[in-house]
Amino acid sequence: MNKLSKLLIASLVVFSTQSCTDLEENLVGDITEDISVEGIALPGSGGEATPLTAAYAELRNAGSANHGSYYSNQEITSDEMCIAAKGGDWFDGGILIELHQHTYSPTHAFLNNAWNGAYGAINTVNELLAGGTLDDASIAQARVLRAYFYFRLMDDFGRIKIPTTPGADVPQSTRAEAFDFIESEILDALGVTEITPGMDLAESVLGRGTDAYQINTFGALGIIAKLYLNAEVYIGEAHYAEAAAAASYIIDNGPYTLCGDGCTVSNLGKRTGVASDPDQLEGYAAVFAPNNDGNPEHIFTVNYDEAGGGGMNFSQMNLHYASQFTWNLDAQPWNGYATLEEFYNSYADADARKAANFIVGDQLDFGGNTVLDFASDDENIVLSYTPGINELQPNSQREAGARAGKYSFQQFGRPDMNNDWVILRLGDIILMRGEAMARMSGDWNAALPDVNTIRARANVPDLASIDAEGFLAERGREMFQEAARRRDLIRFGAYGGTWWEKPASDDFRTIFPIPFDQIQASAAGDNPLTQNPGY
Amino acid sequence: MKKCLTKFLFSALFVVVLVSTSMAQMKVTGTVMDGEYNEPLIGATVQIKGSTIGTVTDISGVYNITANTGDVLVYSYTGFDSQEMTVGTDATMNVTMSAGSTLDEIVVVGYGSQSEKEITSAVVQVGEEEFNQGVISDPAQLLQGKVAGLSIYNKGGDPNNSATIRLRGISTVGANVSPLIVVDGIIGASLDNVDPNDIETMTILKDGSAAAIYGSRGSSGVILVTTKTGKANTGLKFSYNGQVSTSQAVNTVSILDGPSFVAAGGTDLGGNTDWIDEVTQTGFRMTHGLSASGGIDNTTFRVSANLRETNGILKNSGFDQFNTRMNVSTRLLNDKLKIDFNTSYTNRNQQLGFNEALRYAVLYNPSAPIFGADSPFEFNEEQFGGYFETLGLFDSFNPSSIVNQNRRDGVRREFNYGATATYSFLDNLSATFRLSQQNIDRSTETYYPTTSAFRGNATSPTRKGLAEFYEFNSTFNLYEGYMTYLTSVGNTDLTFTGGYSYQEDSFTDRFFSIGDFPSNTVDFSTVIEASQDLNNAGFIAANSNASPDNKIIAFFGRANATIDNAIFINASVRREGSSKLGKENQWGIFPAFGVGVDLNKYLNVSSLDLFKFRAGYGVTGALPERSGLSQETRTITNDPLTGAVGTRLAQAANPDLKWEQKQELNFGLEVATGRLSATADFYIRNISDFILERDVDPAIFGGNRRFENSGELSTNGLELAINYDVVKNAKITWNSGLVFSTYKTTLDSFAINRSARGNLGAPGQNGTNVILVQQGEEIGQIYGPVFDGVADDGSPIFQDVNGDGDLVTGQDKILEDNVDFAVLGNGTPDFELGWTNRVSIGDWSINAFFRGAFGHSLVNTFRAFYEPRVSTQSSYNYVTTENAVDGLTTARFSSLYVEKADFVKLDNLTISRRFAVNSKSISSVQLSLILENPLVFTGYSGTDPEPALIDDGSAANGEFTDLNDVLAPGVDRRNSYFNSRSISLGVNVNF
Repeated sequence: MNKLSKLLIASLVVFSTQSCTDLEENLVGDITEDISVEGIALPGSGGEATPLTAAYAELRNAGSANHGSYYSNQEITSDEMCIAAKGGDWFDGGILIELHQHTYSPTHAFLNNAWNGAYGAINTVNELLAGGTLDDASIAQARVLRAYFYFRLMDDFGRIKIPTTPGADVPQSTRAEAFDFIESEILDALGVTEITPGMDLAESVLGRGTDAYQINTFGALGIIAKLYLNAEVYIGEAHYAEAAAAASYIIDNGPYTLCGDGCTVSNLGKRTGVASDPDQLEGYAAVFAPNNDGNPEHIFTVNYDEAGGGGMNFSQMNLHYASQFTWNLDAQPWNGYATLEEFYNSYADADARKAANFIVGDQLDFGGNTVLDFASDDENIVLSYTPGINELQPNSQREAGARAGKYSFQQFGRPDMNNDWVILRLGDIILMRGEAMARMSGDWNAALPDVNTIRARANVPDLASIDAEGFLAERGREMFQEAARRRDLIRFGAYGGTWWEKPASDDFRTIFPIPFDQIQASAAGDNPLTQNPGY
Repeated sequence: MKKCLTKFLFSALFVVVLVSTSMAQMKVTGTVMDGEYNEPLIGATVQIKGSTIGTVTDISGVYNITANTGDVLVYSYTGFDSQEMTVGTDATMNVTMSAGSTLDEIVVVGYGSQSEKEITSAVVQVGEEEFNQGVISDPAQLLQGKVAGLSIYNKGGDPNNSATIRLRGISTVGANVSPLIVVDGIIGASLDNVDPNDIETMTILKDGSAAAIYGSRGSSGVILVTTKTGKANTGLKFSYNGQVSTSQAVNTVSILDGPSFVAAGGTDLGGNTDWIDEVTQTGFRMTHGLSASGGIDNTTFRVSANLRETNGILKNSGFDQFNTRMNVSTRLLNDKLKIDFNTSYTNRNQQLGFNEALRYAVLYNPSAPIFGADSPFEFNEEQFGGYFETLGLFDSFNPSSIVNQNRRDGVRREFNYGATATYSFLDNLSATFRLSQQNIDRSTETYYPTTSAFRGNATSPTRKGLAEFYEFNSTFNLYEGYMTYLTSVGNTDLTFTGGYSYQEDSFTDRFFSIGDFPSNTVDFSTVIEASQDLNNAGFIAANSNASPDNKIIAFFGRANATIDNAIFINASVRREGSSKLGKENQWGIFPAFGVGVDLNKYLNVSSLDLFKFRAGYGVTGALPERSGLSQETRTITNDPLTGAVGTRLAQAANPDLKWEQKQELNFGLEVATGRLSATADFYIRNISDFILERDVDPAIFGGNRRFENSGELSTNGLELAINYDVVKNAKITWNSGLVFSTYKTTLDSFAINRSARGNLGAPGQNGTNVILVQQGEEIGQIYGPVFDGVADDGSPIFQDVNGDGDLVTGQDKILEDNVDFAVLGNGTPDFELGWTNRVSIGDWSINAFFRGAFGHSLVNTFRAFYEPRVSTQSSYNYVTTENAVDGLTTARFSSLYVEKADFVKLDNLTISRRFAVNSKSISSVQLSLILENPLVFTGYSGTDPEPALIDDGSAANGEFTDLNDVLAPGVDRRNSYFNSRSISLGVNVNF
């Protein structure tokens, strides 16, 4: 037994040592915290370090221009676009019909996606701010960018959580508290305490850089102008004077011009076999073209890119499968989104925006031959988009509905498009100023000069007078496909109204429900989320 | 690690040196004879009682052993009653043994072996003669239906897909859902590297008390595989077996032919093509196995080589496999040192084929022509390699083009080796050291030529053709050492085992894809420099992963006590650490305890041969599949303008991640009387802190998903095995065995209360989750609206289930409270049965095996998508079953598509005859005819009624899916392989 004890002791000593009990996990296949807590920030090809790369990239991640998240929620709840169920295709459990008919409920996946997308973006900004490596100008930009994401959340969901450091568990705010936070963050970054016509922003740390991919003084003003224009909806308090002052400041002091006659880019969607395709896109159409970067109208845009900055998928979302041959697309489209007939018909034929915004009629391929749909559900196998849609469900014709083509497609395009997505542009700011002035004065004709500026660019005659309804319609024609329509309808009290295949809806629907998954998930923490009224 | 290995080897050496002195002993010799036939027993075991020292008899039945006076020698031989004799002064001890009344086999358990009666937990051993017959290449299928509580399903029988194995249902939701495989003591070995021909026995440790000694790896049960070895002193033996088999697709989906499709309103493309016929073929399988075995002096060995060729019923699918295995065992230093060495190598060249073709064969327009030249419209067939394509339609590809133009080939190589050394340095004390390593290399190469519409992007004007490359390498190392000490106190025999185990595994993989090839003249996957993607940023896809060194370190101890040779007690404890868990939570302690009582020793009921009760309780831990879950990880983001790079959160850290624990209590009763023997087991199992990726608050964590310890599951189950010799005489024997098992798994608590899973997918049924996972409910509930007829517009009418007058039936609302949904079925069976019949009449034997599962339902997705006559969907073929409802023109999920899938199959029918051969070189020949799956009785209208225990998810339009959801059983996906029926002919020759 003596031998045995010696043996056991010897073995125990050997195996209890550190190297035989070491359970360190070294993640060689991942980028971990150890490499960089606040994220790697490497200089680009120009040698310039761009610490906010990850922050601005979040604009692409957060569903700005793809299917199933923020963009979809803004567009197909409005009267400008829908996704009809095409037989077995595009029913998807009814979620698309629900958005159209305003019967969405807390379990709606797209609402949850939008929520997650925004908070993912906010986390990245919070990490960068917490990292302590940013200079004052970058901090100001980061805070305005974060305020913009909170603006989206507040606009959609009303009562949200507002963490400003990574990992913070904070209580759910009221919509008014969220409004105040967004307002104060942007004012802080601008270096003022209020927006007034006579404010001095010359020394704002945000500066006046001309790169529309970054937020400058005018970008921050544009975002706060949107906040103030909708303040009556958000907090029941009018802030039109501030909205007008912010918009005017941009128009008067900014380097931006409306892209009109002579403002052109080459037409990357031109088909060699179709003589009527122009060589150049001019004016309104140029603002949204695949090569729209650096357009003089852009104030703040998202840099989408087919190779390094994916996330804009309009060609896939909007076009019929066979339209692949019109643009020589790299992948087969999905045939989802279409325009409501009434909305399409609200444009005058001469309106430059009608041609720019919509794709209708018989489709021709690259060589000028008609595109065929071998699985056509009518007698004619030529692919022809009709403005009218036979029914919302269950059997919408597969080629029914004018297709949104404002963010136009380029030949040989990839599923990820190159067009920059516009968050703020001068045309929008001009209409915002007009509307704010009208609402301040109580006279919609006060908006006429600004409205007619916009109409002139679209080659449609000036209006002699205008009312609220007319303004909303004009703003709709201008802002189509820019994720603005839901907010505009709410501000004009029209969101609960009726349109094609959409019955009247209750007022509480102007705020989306807090997603079910979020209520479940937050229940584990100290600050559970509670549901919005009505749901 | 290197340091630890060095210490390990050093200590092994140290132990050997320490004990190199030995006591003076006497040599005992003798002959062991079979009392009935008066012949020597070759290979009988002779062991000194209470020690690990032993030997076996040679070809003349003679043994030699060194023992002390007073030692008790135990003589044992399979099928014979053991005998004990005390060593006196006589150096010659001859023994005559007689055939036993009950078999008391030696069963391999963790870190040792026990006789069957000593076992206190639910353990089942299945020998070669009980295995399923046929050309079986997946060893798991040898056991299908043979063990109560062991579910093995390979839906449709795809030859390139391994079966899903579940012991007692779902044991964890994170990882390790399949039982641990131990091959010849090598823990965590891959079953793919074992050829079925080489397997002697498989032992299944079912409950927690048996598996606990293996720790976390045994949390889903353990399957111990013992491969064949050479018998001592038998000279050299050769054996050959070969089988050929053909198979045919059966029970395919019922669809319309061209004319009936057009008559039903389908788009007329002028032809009539049987697409299923176009993509299937007569399957062919062949195997040859050759082995040599023997024993010379102190060394026994067996080497084998197995060749397999398989062509599946899907065109251009199958594999060729070559496997070799070598087992060598030798005794040195006066039998004190026993060294076992084994190694195996498998090379499998796979033609993986495209299972998607089976799905498109079902849905593709049956009036479409195969070739573009036969198109009713102007069609540029050159663009598609001569094939027709229905351009302009989502999720529709010419099935014939898919199987004939594209290729997906894989290679899988597995190599393992292990060495085990056992040194008996005292009579009653031995030490065992084991080193083993396993290497798995897999690679896949896929090529879609420029003319393939399916993933080859033939519709694209410019960027056509795609080549994909995937490589995977993994390494697994295991070092273990343990000591065994035997002693007796009064009428109690005690065995103590204690040891240390170190396991380390890691993998790397690389994926790369590139496309846009200039033409279709050659297979450009070998000329990728021709790719035009090289000129365009963003088109080349590349991805690589490397796991950390995942380590499991354990210290374990076990005590076995046998009191009065009738009461058996086992107790063990294992302290185990894993690198996959949060830093402060890496170590766990897992105890187990079991007791068994041979009641008949006290009751003395003369009609009973065996009446044993046992109870076991054990705790095991389970680990997540992936590593790195306790740490934060990030992904790269780019600035496309400047090329600058940043990062964003990919996964929030969870430093609190701790062991998932499984507690299992098992009661068993074993009875044998005359021709009847029966075993019953009842178990209660609780899984706490199961690890699952769940929704978390993104406002706190930055991301909305994180792996957490998320809830509790409990399972209750009952298993019965009955064996009866219906006829047993000199000429005819008929043995009939029935196994029955049932279990129910409930989600007792769940951090997020409920979640929806099993999304049916595109086209049109995204947001259509059909499985509800909810706290307090059974796992596997299919949940949805109840079909109640057809409305005038062709849409379905649903029942107002909750009777509130408000109809809420959108499947996207599955998680809401006010829905008009009902539980439409459950994906897991209520009970499963296996019924074996073995009849032998002289040289003939017949083996008929029936298998059934009852009470489970399946969502028949082929019907859910393609059975309604959707008018705008007139280019997909219609599925027609007897369940079809006339006038229904809208596809919406409901009870209509949930079917009971009870079934009974005559799984296997084997008829064989043994021929006595009067030849010097050939000792016996056996011929077999085997029918696999000859009869199926089911009401299910889909391809295969077997349960779908894992949900693979939905993929449409050429997408890929990598879902593996164990919480969503019951969805019969459209990618399922078709069922087949086969006939095999086998020959077995012993030289």
